[in-house]
Amino acid sequence: MAEVQPTRMELIKLRRRIKMATRGHALLKMKRDGLIMEFRDILEEAKEVIGGMVEKYESARERLAIAMAADGVIAVKSIALSCHTEPSFTIKKKNIMGVVVPVIKREKVRKRVSERDYGVIGTTARIDEAVAAYEELVDAILEVAELETTLKRLIEEIEKTKRRVNALEYRVIPDMEATAKYISFRLEEMDRENIVRLKKIKAKMAKT
Amino acid sequence: MALLRRISTKPAEWAYIVARVRVMSRKLIPREDYNKLLNMDIHEIARYLEESEYKREIDELAYKYSGMDLVDYALSLNLSRTYSKLIRISKGVPRQLIVQYLRRYDFWNLKNIIRGKMFGFPREEVEATLVIAGEYDEQFYRALMAKETIEDIVKTFEGKPFYPILDKLVKACPLAEFEDELDKFYYQSLTSISPETIDMKYFLEFIRMEIDIKNIKTILRLKTEGAEMDEIVPKIVPGGYQLKEDVARRLAAMELDELMKSLEGFWFHEAIKDVLREPLSRIEVYFDRMWAQKVVSKSHHFPLSILPVLSYMLLKKIEVDNLRILARGKAEGLPTEAIKEQLVIV
Repeated sequence: MAEVQPTRMELIKLRRRIKMATRGHALLKMKRDGLIMEFRDILEEAKEVIGGMVEKYESARERLAIAMAADGVIAVKSIALSCHTEPSFTIKKKNIMGVVVPVIKREKVRKRVSERDYGVIGTTARIDEAVAAYEELVDAILEVAELETTLKRLIEEIEKTKRRVNALEYRVIPDMEATAKYISFRLEEMDRENIVRLKKIKAKMAKT
Repeated sequence: MALLRRISTKPAEWAYIVARVRVMSRKLIPREDYNKLLNMDIHEIARYLEESEYKREIDELAYKYSGMDLVDYALSLNLSRTYSKLIRISKGVPRQLIVQYLRRYDFWNLKNIIRGKMFGFPREEVEATLVIAGEYDEQFYRALMAKETIEDIVKTFEGKPFYPILDKLVKACPLAEFEDELDKFYYQSLTSISPETIDMKYFLEFIRMEIDIKNIKTILRLKTEGAEMDEIVPKIVPGGYQLKEDVARRLAAMELDELMKSLEGFWFHEAIKDVLREPLSRIEVYFDRMWAQKVVSKSHHFPLSILPVLSYMLLKKIEVDNLRILARGKAEGLPTEAIKEQLVIV
C-alpha cells in the first residue's frame, strides 16, 4: 500500500476499478453457477449413457462367449476377419458459456445383417447377435467419449471460474477497497492538515 | 461333379463304410454323459476330454495353445481328422458323396483365405481358421495363402465350376454377396445330382432338408432386422425340400408375426412351435435339434445308404459343438441353464 499515491485521481481510478471488479465478480459468479447447472445436466446424461455402456459391454461379452462356445473360436475369428471397417466420425465444436466442447458427429457403427461384410447363409444368428452387441458397444463408447470430454472441459472451466471468483471476492476487491479506504483517509488527513496549517498561518498573521 | 449327375448305387457298396461308421458311432459321447458334463467344472471337462477320443489332438496341440483355445483347436482338429478318415476309408460312390458333402469346408477355407488376404490379416491368424476336411489338403491351402493377391488365388481355381463366382469377386463384387453365392453354389452342386435309387433319393432329401433349415434361418434372421423381400430373396438357397424359392419368397414378403404363424405345416415347425418368442439364437438350436433327430431317424430306416454316414457326420459335428459349448461356457462363467439351452442333444 506504500507505493500507492494517495491522490484524488488515484481514488477515482480505484473506485472505477472496484466497480468493474464487482460487476465482473457478479458475472463470473453467474457463469460459475450456469456452468455448474450445465455440468449437472450433462452429468445426469453421462451417468445414464455410461450405465448403458456397461450394460452393453456385459451383454456383448455374453453374446461373444455364446458365439465362441456354439460356433467355435474359428468361426468367430473368421467373421472377425471380415469386420474390418473402423468407426468413422468427425469432431465439431460447440460453445457452452464460452467453453469449447467437442461434438462427435459419427456414423452409426451398428449395421443390419444384410449390410455386413460376411455372408448370411454360412453364418448363424449367434454370430449376428455378437456382432450387433459389439457394434452397439462401439456406438455407446463414442457417445461416452463425447460426454466425458465435455464434462472434463466443463470441470476445468468451473475450477478456473471458481478460482477467479474467489480471487476477486477474497483478494482483489477487498485489497482495492482497503486501498481506496486508505487513500480517502489519507486525503481527509491531508485536508485536515491543510486546515490546521491554514489556521496556524491565519493566527500568526493575526499576531503580527 | 459331373460324375455325380447320374448316380446309381447298390446296397452292397455301402456295407463297408456303414460298418466302419457304426463302429465309429459307438465312440460318440452318449447323451446321458452331457448331464454329467453340465455339472463338471472346466478342469473336470478337460480331464474328461483327456480320457476320450480327443486325447491325441489335445496332446499334439498343447505346445502351441493353452486353456480354452487348446480345447477349441483340438476339437476342430479331431473333427477334421474324423472327416478325413471317412474319405480315406471309403471308395467309389460313397467316397464321392462324402467328398462332395465335405466340400463345404473347402468353401469355408477359401472364404477365410480371401477374407484374410483382402483385409491384410497375418497368415498365422488365417491358418488358425482353416478346417482341413474337404477335398484339398493342408499343403494346398498353404500354397494358396502364400499367393500375393486375391487375383492369384482366384486363378488357381480356373476351370472349376465355381470359378465364375470367384471371378466376380475380383471384379468388385461385395464380399458378403460372394460368400453367399459360394454357399449357394455348394448346395446347388449337391442338389443337381439326379437320383436313380431310393438311397440316393434320401441323400438328396437330406440335403434339401438342410437347405430348408438354412433358408428358414436366413429368412428369420433378416426379417428380425427388418429386411425387405428384395434383400432376402437373393440369400435364399434354391432346391429346398419344402421351402422352395417361391415359398421362401412368399414368407419373405410377410411380417414377422404372420411369418411365424405361417410356418405351421412345415416339417420343422414342431421344433419351434412353443418357442416362437425366444431369441433367434435359441430358435436356431431347436431347428438344429429337429434336423438332427430327423436325420438319425431316417438313417435307421435306410441302414445301407449314405444316410448312416451323413448321420454320423452330423452327430460328430454336434458332439464337437456340444463339447465346445460346455467347455467354453464353463470357462466364461455362463450359467448352466444358458449352456444347456445351446446344447443339441439327440
